[in-house]
Amino acid sequence: MVKFLSEEWIEYGKKYMLEKLDPEKDLKNLTTSLLGVIEHVPPNDTTMNFYLELKDGKLNDFKVNTGDTFEGKEAIFVIRGNYGTYKDILEGKISTAMALLKNRLKLKGSKMEALKIIKPLDGLIESLRKITDEFEE
Amino acid sequence: MKSDNVLTLEKTSLEDVVAIAEKGTHCGMCKIDFLGTGLCPSGKKHGFLAYWPQGRMEIVKALASGRVKPTEKLIDIANSCSLCGICDKQCNFATQLRPEKVARALKEYVNSLDKSEFQNVEEDKVLVELQKIVGDEWATNDPIIITSYVRSIIPPDVELNFYIVMPENAEQVSKIIKFANKNNIPFLPRSGGTALSVATPTVLSNATSLENGIVIDLLRLKKLEIHPESCTAKVGAGITAFELQKAAYKHKLRANVAEAGAHICANIATTGVITTWGNKYGCFADNFIDLELVDNDGIIKNHRDMEISNPYTTEHGFTNISLSPSYIITESTVKLYPVFDDEEAVLVPFENLEDALDMVMKLGKRGVGLSLAVLSYKYLAEFICPTPQIAKDFEDICKNYLKLRYVVDVICNKDDKKIVEEMAEYTIDQSMMKSLILGSPKLASLKDSEFMKILSEEEDPLKAIFAGPMRKHFEKGLDASPEQLAKVYDKDLQDFFKKVYSKPEMTNVVWLHAFRILPSRLMRQRMAMGPGGAVWAGDKDHILKWVDMFAEVGNKYNLEHALGFISPLDNGKFIYIEYDYFYNHNDPEAASRISKTLLETTEKSLAMGGIFTLINYLFKGIYRKEHVLYPLLKGLTKEEQIVFREVLQSVLGEYEQW
Repeated sequence: MVKFLSEEWIEYGKKYMLEKLDPEKDLKNLTTSLLGVIEHVPPNDTTMNFYLELKDGKLNDFKVNTGDTFEGKEAIFVIRGNYGTYKDILEGKISTAMALLKNRLKLKGSKMEALKIIKPLDGLIESLRKITDEFEE
Repeated sequence: MKSDNVLTLEKTSLEDVVAIAEKGTHCGMCKIDFLGTGLCPSGKKHGFLAYWPQGRMEIVKALASGRVKPTEKLIDIANSCSLCGICDKQCNFATQLRPEKVARALKEYVNSLDKSEFQNVEEDKVLVELQKIVGDEWATNDPIIITSYVRSIIPPDVELNFYIVMPENAEQVSKIIKFANKNNIPFLPRSGGTALSVATPTVLSNATSLENGIVIDLLRLKKLEIHPESCTAKVGAGITAFELQKAAYKHKLRANVAEAGAHICANIATTGVITTWGNKYGCFADNFIDLELVDNDGIIKNHRDMEISNPYTTEHGFTNISLSPSYIITESTVKLYPVFDDEEAVLVPFENLEDALDMVMKLGKRGVGLSLAVLSYKYLAEFICPTPQIAKDFEDICKNYLKLRYVVDVICNKDDKKIVEEMAEYTIDQSMMKSLILGSPKLASLKDSEFMKILSEEEDPLKAIFAGPMRKHFEKGLDASPEQLAKVYDKDLQDFFKKVYSKPEMTNVVWLHAFRILPSRLMRQRMAMGPGGAVWAGDKDHILKWVDMFAEVGNKYNLEHALGFISPLDNGKFIYIEYDYFYNHNDPEAASRISKTLLETTEKSLAMGGIFTLINYLFKGIYRKEHVLYPLLKGLTKEEQIVFREVLQSVLGEYEQW
């Protein structure tokens, strides 16, 4: 178990997703990319992001960075929210869909297309939930 | 006296007061002075819900169940009630409940406690910062005060990990939001809380409530200015529909408002103002000139700002669902309309919906009437009858003897009245409505009488009593007077209600339509959920099929149900339908059936196509109707239905758990 947005989080996340998620069953052979922008990251109120790319249901790329863009990576979806919202999602207090519909996450990209991938996305979040147990306070 | 910190009473039966408290539906009528009694002095002074009758009922329930322990604040809350009896009068008019008994019980309980039994409330850093923004008095983390917000923004079963904060202007709202964001604390605004309380017993509870964080109670934003020269009003977020209407009427002006207890700004933010006056006065952004908003980043904006992007447009498709506001409206400038001297009410009774629909659509397209709707007999009965039992008997008489199932209900000037009368064989006029309101107990008592049996054998019983030779005898037989009506109330309240019903406005159908104090009766001692939405007016078969679908689903889940109202909008181009389901909100099994009904009817409506459902309506009130309703959705494809189900499951959990 690791800390959200740490290097270990990326490594564990990659490993878990590759080993445990079935490209067809869990990820519906999905090809997409997502940039998650996390605002107000404690303790210094910074902005960070992670970039996640799937090709035919297989994890192709998963990286974390500072700031609100990932140089050289144009994601199909950009979701933006504060650290607390991401924490609530990873702790299972709120679903990604609920956070989107309650405007806690702001989406750039087609909402229809985003909601179409909500089930596989829930699977990805579920796997990240299983490896994440530490957050900045 | 040792109390083990759980509410126990000797003088007043605990069971009695908890039973009263449980029947409360958070209609919010105790927060408006609709009977001329004045307002609850304690609530008016302290603001927090805990000091209003509605909040005290939640506190008593929580103390009785042991969910919350007494704090020092409870002494202040209990003792702030002077037992003046205003709440009994107000609540009795709407719901027949006696909340003063609850307040009295709370006083007795507090006086029975040892000092050692009070729980300490620790001040924390967040509270200190919030108090810096709004002042010490207006921010709290006291669990007793937090408890009073349960079911009207806080879900019933979560930890009481909240702050309640009451800002007094947009700048303070902005600071609260910026502070909340920086510290990763969720927040949600609360106004009247009525929409939230309707959703709370259902599967929508978590979707519409705040799971933890800061409740921004907007009650203190009390700005209210009427500008007769421009026929506008500036209205702060703490102003209710009743308060605005009362102020506007002083200038012979009228606002298009929702139910009396609803807050104007919150109503605009959620569904927009949906009323029977919509065909004339408009819907969505038609109702306002300007808004002052605070966005989710804490930025204050105005619609009149030159540099903002189009504030009137919104995304299309069934995925435009939004479960919380994108903005907090802190002030709105709304339109006002003239009140004419020759306004009258005229109702046309019908036995079947198709004929009533034909008439209302013809009138709507011609622009006849200020307020225009088809009401079901149930709506009519609930509105005009003083008690649930009288309403039930009244309904039976309408259904089984009079063959009165629907009325086309028109508020209009004299010229329009002539048009209605030319189209109808006979009508129910203002005088007859007054007799029905004051004589409703007598009429209800005629259920199963010989008179009703004879009447029902007439070829057209409605014509016989409303236009035929029996009218005179019928009206006389109703013995309609404030004295007679007052007799249905508790003995100690009869004098008061005699005076209330002697006031002209209480039997003036135009006034009652404008001030909307009667819809609260739909929720007396139970909950009403009214899904529906907008549909094109041109395809009558489609509309009737839609109404039938609501009835079928209601029957499937064994719920009491009926059409609420159908009202044309935009000069009869489309219509709004509300269909009501009634249930005991304290029964989880009934709530589960309501949840399934709500979601099944939404899914079926989306599959039928050409319908803008209530779920899509949520938080679209600030946009232009042209952007929201044009074009209406086609029926969902199979693929879209799968997506819809998946989204519902992701948001609300597995179907079996609903």
